[in-house]
Amino acid sequence: MTFNDVLPLAPVVAVVLAAAAVLVVDLAWPGRSAPALVTTFVGLGIAAALVVVTGATPADAFRGAYTVDAFTTFIDVLLIGIVVLTILFAPDYLEPRDLPIAEFAALMMFALSGAMLIAGSTDLLLLFLGLELMVLPGYLLAGFAKRDALSTEGAIKYFLLGSFSSAIFLFGLAYVWGLTGTTSIGGVAAELGVMVESAGISAGLALGLALLTTGVAFKIAAVPFHYWTPDAYQGSPTPVTGYLSTLPKVGAFALILRLFVEALGPVSEEWAVVFVLLAALTMTVGNLIALTQDNVKRMLAYSSIAHTGYMMVGLAAYANGQVEGLEGLLYYGAAYAFMNLGAFAVVAALQKRRGVTSSLATFAGLGRREPLLGVLMTLFLLSLVGIPPTAGFFAKAYIILAAVEAGGVLSFLAVLMVLNAAAAAFYYLRVVVYMFMREPETEAPALSHGGLVWVGLFAATILTIGLGLLPGPIIESVQDAASALL
Amino acid sequence: MTITDLPIISIITFLPLAGAILIAFVPRSSVNAVRAIALGTALLTFVVSLFPLIGYLPDRPGFQYVETVDWIPVFGIQYKVGVDGMSLALVVLTTTLTWISILASLRPITHRVKEFMISFLILEVGMIGVFVALDMFLFYIFWEIVLVPMYLIIGIWGGANRIYATIKFVLYTLVGSLLMLVAILATAYTFADGHGGSFVGAFDYEELRAYAGTGGFVEGFQLLAFLAFFLAFAIKVPMWPFHTWLPDAHVEAPTAGSVILAGILLKLGGYGMIRFSLPLFPDAAHTFAPLIIVLSLIAIIYGAVVALVQPDLKKLVAYSSVSHMGFVTLGIFVFTEQGMNGAIVQMVAHGLITGALFLLVGVIYERTHDRTIAKMGGLSKPVPVFAAVLGFFVFASAGLPGLAGFVGEFLVLLGAFDYSPWVAAVAAFCMILGAGYLLWMFQRAAFGDVSDFLRSLGSHLTDMRPVEVLTLVPLATLTVVFGLLPGLLLVLISGTVDGVLSDVAGGGAVNLAFWR
Repeated sequence: MTFNDVLPLAPVVAVVLAAAAVLVVDLAWPGRSAPALVTTFVGLGIAAALVVVTGATPADAFRGAYTVDAFTTFIDVLLIGIVVLTILFAPDYLEPRDLPIAEFAALMMFALSGAMLIAGSTDLLLLFLGLELMVLPGYLLAGFAKRDALSTEGAIKYFLLGSFSSAIFLFGLAYVWGLTGTTSIGGVAAELGVMVESAGISAGLALGLALLTTGVAFKIAAVPFHYWTPDAYQGSPTPVTGYLSTLPKVGAFALILRLFVEALGPVSEEWAVVFVLLAALTMTVGNLIALTQDNVKRMLAYSSIAHTGYMMVGLAAYANGQVEGLEGLLYYGAAYAFMNLGAFAVVAALQKRRGVTSSLATFAGLGRREPLLGVLMTLFLLSLVGIPPTAGFFAKAYIILAAVEAGGVLSFLAVLMVLNAAAAAFYYLRVVVYMFMREPETEAPALSHGGLVWVGLFAATILTIGLGLLPGPIIESVQDAASALL
Repeated sequence: MTITDLPIISIITFLPLAGAILIAFVPRSSVNAVRAIALGTALLTFVVSLFPLIGYLPDRPGFQYVETVDWIPVFGIQYKVGVDGMSLALVVLTTTLTWISILASLRPITHRVKEFMISFLILEVGMIGVFVALDMFLFYIFWEIVLVPMYLIIGIWGGANRIYATIKFVLYTLVGSLLMLVAILATAYTFADGHGGSFVGAFDYEELRAYAGTGGFVEGFQLLAFLAFFLAFAIKVPMWPFHTWLPDAHVEAPTAGSVILAGILLKLGGYGMIRFSLPLFPDAAHTFAPLIIVLSLIAIIYGAVVALVQPDLKKLVAYSSVSHMGFVTLGIFVFTEQGMNGAIVQMVAHGLITGALFLLVGVIYERTHDRTIAKMGGLSKPVPVFAAVLGFFVFASAGLPGLAGFVGEFLVLLGAFDYSPWVAAVAAFCMILGAGYLLWMFQRAAFGDVSDFLRSLGSHLTDMRPVEVLTLVPLATLTVVFGLLPGLLLVLISGTVDGVLSDVAGGGAVNLAFWR
């Protein structure tokens, strides 16, 4: 190990150090949120700066186990953005419930370090390590409101199914390792290429592929491996739900891209079919169940399943030969993260008073009570529907373009995707109906929200509109990121 | 610097947005300031929208006042706007109806005035944008932007059943338009594929049109893309059997919403067919034309017959729209000069006349809080001015010669006669039916003894206020002007009509039996 090995890892190290620093600061000033928050944001700021600096020069470390390329940089920046926004939204929700903000921030940063590790992994073991590091704090976060039975129930479900799927995934990795004799992603790709060329798909490889696909399908909550999502999402404290629906999802997709696109690239024809089916199933089932939800958090949980389906369309388009599919997937990931976090932030802001549920009725009359919050929520929802000129629209258009280019069965997937988007409009706009077109049954007072929440909401707003109106710069980043993978 | 150096089209498009932003900063309590800014913006936009009319050269083919800025160069997406005769006519129709609608809503809209005015001005941005966009991506964006404010206008300020109506409106429109998005992207990709994978110009309407002229889009692709575009436009028009959102939306919408819905939003469909469906997919247009003509005839008959039995005044006008817009689609798809001219004139005329009828329904509803025709009767005695104006527009809508509605329908009939005398005969029969339900309604509402219901209202039943008259005078004037001097409009749109027809003439019906 030399200095040159550590340098590419500097952002990850910075995040871990910052998380540790937050814990120390919390010991020094117990129960005070300001010092912990300042430490958090300074630490994340440094990490972001390091990401940009190290990203300028692509490099390998630890004999090719970890790579910094355009893909790593793109995912890292996105992940840090997600965590910053989540922590901005959290205090308003956590403080009235006496939940400790410092531990929340520290856990989130540990998870972040895991996700960042995934983004740069070019080794199967490191990939698994990053995955576990990312999801373990997630179990704790899901059960963060430890006196709340629902939260605990959700956390247990999340934990059981999560570890189960990790085991399946690891089992699949073992097969791949056993067949190829290497854990290096480049090596696996080369070996598989030779193997498939000469002998086709062996039974062991097929089993390994199936196990890996099942494992990642659990992690991204693709149908029919989604059952843990609604309970885990609804039970978790709202800021955690926003986090759970974005960061682990982006991380898991980064893992899919590193593993399936890079390592399993030679057998892409085999997994392409599976992902086409999973995509169709995931978006349709996710939307159909979301249609029937009366609880906004649960509705957003199911709709996040549908969004997973849309992103998988991009992956399927890539597997059918269109690199735009990957670009679209990455663009969608960014757009989805910000608009979804924005929507969850509004839900969390409404729940600032203890005991307020996230049922649709909570939203009745919001447009009159707190017009700005209502307008912002409408914007995020419209973006989730995919109405221009928002991030969600351009992201959908990107993926549809890739699917149409791929042609064949992917064209049908594109049509299915827009029909799903139309169905999704129904349940997203129902929230708008409650906010603006219905009067509340009992008059709730307008709340005053902390400054951090507004900062976060405006950042999410600017990103949601900016990614829709001026997609140019992000397109360049996702193109670089996608070409770094290939 | 002359007027042509200014980005005049962009100014017209985004002036209402500036007004909306301004209103957002006015405190909620200053209702009158909000109203003044909204009305002022709409009037200013109207005045500015007249300028391109002055310098427009109808003899020059193609688009004028074109502005092009690269927007998303990777995919060849541009901010490109410009007008030809048809879009100019529809832009001016939009700006006219918008200020009239805002003027007409000053009194009826009393709660959430600020939000209403902002929605309305953003709606105007979307509508103008649809008519001036020359980039498919940009067009789609404006097309969808229209949806959101109208959703709010019906949903917040509408009648008792407004939420059902507005969601139905949105979902119907969204299904059509999202499929159109797939078609737009597929068209762009096909273009790029034919140009060595380069997306330069792939969303540029003029480039695509030229490419279509060279036979770039193969028949199989044309059929699918045409259907996707057609569905979006047919839902907007709306053509039978995609019309079921319309009566609900119209009945529940506030007056101004109905005026814009009938006056402009329905025209987006007809505009899209002429602008995109025909020139881009001429073979498919020929293939489906017989089917669409049959659907148009069904719409004409169905709208008229259903209007005949409507007990509700507003619903009657709504169904009459289905019938009248049937003439538009009929005129478009017979592919003759008179038919196309007639379709565009009919769009303008229907915008003016039906817009006015909805305003009149709003006037009477404000006083009676009832729209049942059977409860009216003898309106001409207590409210003679109202009855007279209603009479004028009823005759205009029924297609009285000398008024704009006649010109459009007559030209369409001429064009249809060229295509097939039988089609013309059926359509002409329905004009009689149209006269029937309109005049019958007018007779029941305006003549005879004053009904008990109206009597019970007593002094609440006042005649039209000067402001209300003011909203209708421009519409009446234009109805007469275009009725007597249709040449004004025909000269303006001649370039559009010739261009589209010559593009369509290059296509031929696809033999479906051999296509698989």
